[in-house]
Amino acid sequence: MSSQPMNDEPRGIGRPRGSGGGGGGRGGAGRGDAGGKEGGKRFFFRRRKVCKFCADKIDYVDYKDVKLISQFVPERGKILPRRMFGTCAEHQRKLTEAINRARHIALLPYAAD
Amino acid sequence: MSERVYEILFIADPNLGEPEVEALGAQVQGFVEKEGGSIQKREMWGKKRLAYDVGRHREGYYVLIVASGPGALVKEVERRLRVTDGVFRFLTVRVDEELRKAERRKAKRTLAEEKRKSRPGAQAAREQEVQQ
Repeated sequence: MSSQPMNDEPRGIGRPRGSGGGGGGRGGAGRGDAGGKEGGKRFFFRRRKVCKFCADKIDYVDYKDVKLISQFVPERGKILPRRMFGTCAEHQRKLTEAINRARHIALLPYAAD
Repeated sequence: MSERVYEILFIADPNLGEPEVEALGAQVQGFVEKEGGSIQKREMWGKKRLAYDVGRHREGYYVLIVASGPGALVKEVERRLRVTDGVFRFLTVRVDEELRKAERRKAKRTLAEEKRKSRPGAQAAREQEVQQ
């Protein structure tokens, strides 16, 4: 990750347009700057989500690994759409399979109350 | 065709004692061996809370058995598990293909990484990119 100071600013702060850093910051810039206030930048950047499984190089999504899987299952126990976690299609498919297996064997809930 | 590898995970009655569950595990291993399979691993996870109630149970002993053998083995083992007292939930999963695929992907990735590293100038180019 680049370490330009602007990137470390808390979210939601309207930056003057064309603030330093130029193009280089594109990768990491705009981290969580979804607030795009008026008078600030015209576009707002959303941090690009990266598939955790790709990033961590997990090839096999194990249904026994509750610790890993439960990161992708909210309290309620539902399987959320891909856009929520940014998982890639391939890994989302595997994740779904793993969740369903874990559910059957009572490692994860079908629905929590 | 090489042998297939299966994971047999079952949940035993929590009211049983540790030795009984142990015996149950051995019994299931017996099922596998009788069908011409071989045991690769057995894990006792111990008593765990279930994510939801199964019948009247709130917790259960988890036992994992990894076995290899012919496909017909699963059918028989599952049938027997169904009629075994003390086992109230089980899951059998074939894992050899998936694991092999994962292995292959890993190998491919490390190969690609090495190639990238060995390419001259690659490091410099990346540094330049960061500086810009």
